[in-house]
Amino acid sequence: MPDETEKEKGIFRELYDTFFSHSWQMWVGSIILAMLSICLFIIASPWGSSGGLLNWGQNLFEGLGLSLENSAPNGVTFIFDNNYALLSLLLIFGALASALFGKEFAIRVAPVGELVKGLFGGILMGIGCIIGFGCTIGNFFSGWPALSAGAIIFVIGLVIGVFIAVRYLLWEMEKHPKMSSGKSATFLQAKTKGTSLQPLAGLIIIIIGLAFAFTFDNPILFGFALIGLFIGIVLQRSRWCIVRALREPFMTGDAEPAVAIIAGLTIGLLGFTVIKLTGIGGELTFVSANFWMPAIVGGIIFGFGMTIAGGCTVGSSWRAAEGHVKLWLALIGIIITAPLTLEYIRPAFLDILPTWMKKQVFLPDYFTYLGAVIIMLLILLIWYVFVKWNERTGRFSAM
Amino acid sequence: MVEANQTLDCKGLSCPMPIMKLAKTMKQMEKGRILELLATDPGSKPDVPAWCKKTGHELLETAEEDGVYKYYIKCK
Repeated sequence: MPDETEKEKGIFRELYDTFFSHSWQMWVGSIILAMLSICLFIIASPWGSSGGLLNWGQNLFEGLGLSLENSAPNGVTFIFDNNYALLSLLLIFGALASALFGKEFAIRVAPVGELVKGLFGGILMGIGCIIGFGCTIGNFFSGWPALSAGAIIFVIGLVIGVFIAVRYLLWEMEKHPKMSSGKSATFLQAKTKGTSLQPLAGLIIIIIGLAFAFTFDNPILFGFALIGLFIGIVLQRSRWCIVRALREPFMTGDAEPAVAIIAGLTIGLLGFTVIKLTGIGGELTFVSANFWMPAIVGGIIFGFGMTIAGGCTVGSSWRAAEGHVKLWLALIGIIITAPLTLEYIRPAFLDILPTWMKKQVFLPDYFTYLGAVIIMLLILLIWYVFVKWNERTGRFSAM
Repeated sequence: MVEANQTLDCKGLSCPMPIMKLAKTMKQMEKGRILELLATDPGSKPDVPAWCKKTGHELLETAEEDGVYKYYIKCK
């Protein structure tokens, strides 16, 4: 075996090692994702996740002949005609390609108890994102920059849900360890010795993804497809995860994921505000009528579900692409229950709420743009201080 | 090659389970004993060293074989 330090690395080997031999830092991913979300907003509307998966589910139901009279009375837009459905699809392509490139793809079948949690978590996420009018992207990573008061309430709900779920997981590990133990199986992993075919497969997937994106004449669909592909790559490369950002303070105390999200939110905040103030994009974009009851209820349900599943809507997507069967089940859970929630549960829920519990609250309408931005930055600062203090003192971290 | 006193099999588990189980196992381990952790989650590659650094347990060695990541950790 030649000594690597004496032999100079080939230029392509060096390029590969720079980008694919290690995961990227999460804050790097965050900043890129925030900028891509800004691009999407300029094209049409910001990055969102649950809308795409909802459309997948609606297409599935329509394909099975089940009507969605309430939620889709005029039929369902086909996946390739829906911005977000297309983005969510190309996201998986990109994440898959990235995993293959980094030789990190493998079909990983977790023990049965874990698979059950994946499915159950997905079911809860499907319900939560519809009741809450958005998920960790629409009501957080894009929702906060959109200056939606409901998004703030949704995240309070997320934190509550995450906290309860962490307590549950710790309890389960103590009292019912069999739920997370037992037989597991791994297939198609990259062999350590010899040359793996995974990077080549990754290259093929990327080429297919790019070629597919370029088949779209509609510039908006093209933009969403292409950016979706890149979002998928960045997500998997940086192992970007909002669940970690909210969960780690209660587990290991690690503040790094939270700080990464704060960085992305700050960039997003600046970009979205410029877009809204200048009129490039609509002021009420991603400001849903969820303030405050739908937001808190949806947030708690979604937060619990995502922690049990081990990924939110995008986290489940890129992990599913990496081959984790538990997250395939989570996605299936979301795809099945989101359309059903929209068709049956949410209309009934909203009906019983008085108007003041389901308002569309755009912060600049109450505090001016400057005031709203300052409020958001203060919230981010308080969050930063809290996670850093918690990291040092371990006050709320169980491990 | 490090000789381990105990093995913790986290194959097939995804985030956060490997770290949760690692933390629980290390709490119950005697000082100086060595744990072999097996994981298939690529997330464990940055996570396990970071956790060891934070908690003070010594990460003696890491290895990778056909999709299984192996970590040898000495209890502090």
